[in-house]
Amino acid sequence: MSRIWRSAALCFVVVGAAALAAQQTPPAATSPAGSGGLNRAPAAPTGPAPRLPNGKIDLSGVWQGGGPVGNIADGLAKGETLPIKPEWKKIMEGRKAKDDPEANCLPTGVPRRDPYPWRILQTQTHTFLLFEGNIHSYRQIFMDGRKHPQDLDPTWYGHSVGHWEGDTLVVDSVGFNDKFWFDFQGTPHTEQLHTVERYTRTNMATLVIETTIDDPGAYTKPFKISFTARLRPGEELMEYICNENNGYVQHITGAAKEF
Amino acid sequence: MRVSVGVLAGLATMVLLARPVVAHHSFAAEYDANKPVTLKGTVSKVEWMNPHARFYVDVKDEKGTTTNWNLELASPNVLVRNGWTRNSLKVGDEVTVEGSRAKDGSNMANARVVKLADGRRVFAGSSGGDAPPPAQK
Repeated sequence: MSRIWRSAALCFVVVGAAALAAQQTPPAATSPAGSGGLNRAPAAPTGPAPRLPNGKIDLSGVWQGGGPVGNIADGLAKGETLPIKPEWKKIMEGRKAKDDPEANCLPTGVPRRDPYPWRILQTQTHTFLLFEGNIHSYRQIFMDGRKHPQDLDPTWYGHSVGHWEGDTLVVDSVGFNDKFWFDFQGTPHTEQLHTVERYTRTNMATLVIETTIDDPGAYTKPFKISFTARLRPGEELMEYICNENNGYVQHITGAAKEF
Repeated sequence: MRVSVGVLAGLATMVLLARPVVAHHSFAAEYDANKPVTLKGTVSKVEWMNPHARFYVDVKDEKGTTTNWNLELASPNVLVRNGWTRNSLKVGDEVTVEGSRAKDGSNMANARVVKLADGRRVFAGSSGGDAPPPAQK
């Protein structure tokens, strides 16, 4: 889905929510926590990105978006195409939508996102990305200067180390398995995947995440994608257990690339 | 919850302007926006569960044969954030549902609009924008 359309959809939710909220009682002040987004959807705050006492940018908060959902190519610069190797393009084209690990309640991996809110939590030693949805999980980014271990077991989120370059948090990740897809289309990768994500909070409500994807297994050269996450002021994460009742995946039809 | 006609008209317009907000799988992989369906019947079961809330409706045809339809909504979190509760739909409610049929031809659809017998529209854009409008003619 293009970013324009995603923005339009977001507008619908926000404006629709505001319109409905205006019709509802009780008013926001008396709305119990967790009663829904409508009654507590304040306007997006403005101003520069906040800072922590140590001077670093405060990335904390609940965000939405920031990575590919429908098609990773949406994040490429205009005119660019994915430098996918022909043999991997063929594999991608053979993938069935019903086999998307995400539709089967498995993690998105990196850099894929889902449509659910997520939170950044910064501590002195770690940065955590807490995901509400699909799945109700987290990524941990080591901020203590350690290096990647030499012999990593391949995992869904890999091994991530972070450092600051000016006001940008740079997250370097390796050690991925090859099970997750980059998007609905089934865009592939191999265990050679290496990602470098650059998190820049350009203002209070906007977080730009630019990711360099280097996977000599499936791509002829590294490529860069950029997606923008939006702050969800006043929002809290909710429980989301995808596997509770996911018995309808068999109804999904067609090739992944059609979507 | 009372919602004014004006608000509904506005919402409908916004639904028409918006492409679906994707869920954990592609809407188009499971449902066909070109196969709109309108179902009138009685709610037989409500599943307020992840990854999609569902409800089931017994629909009687002109011969008196009853068919049970499985209707998909967004996740409970998306619905709650849009003001709905687990009690918005109850077993026994008489409803009219507008949605899109499953591509595999089963008695399953993605519910877009649910109207109660008293005229209230419970879901105006069922899946929090998750379901696209019928294809433009």
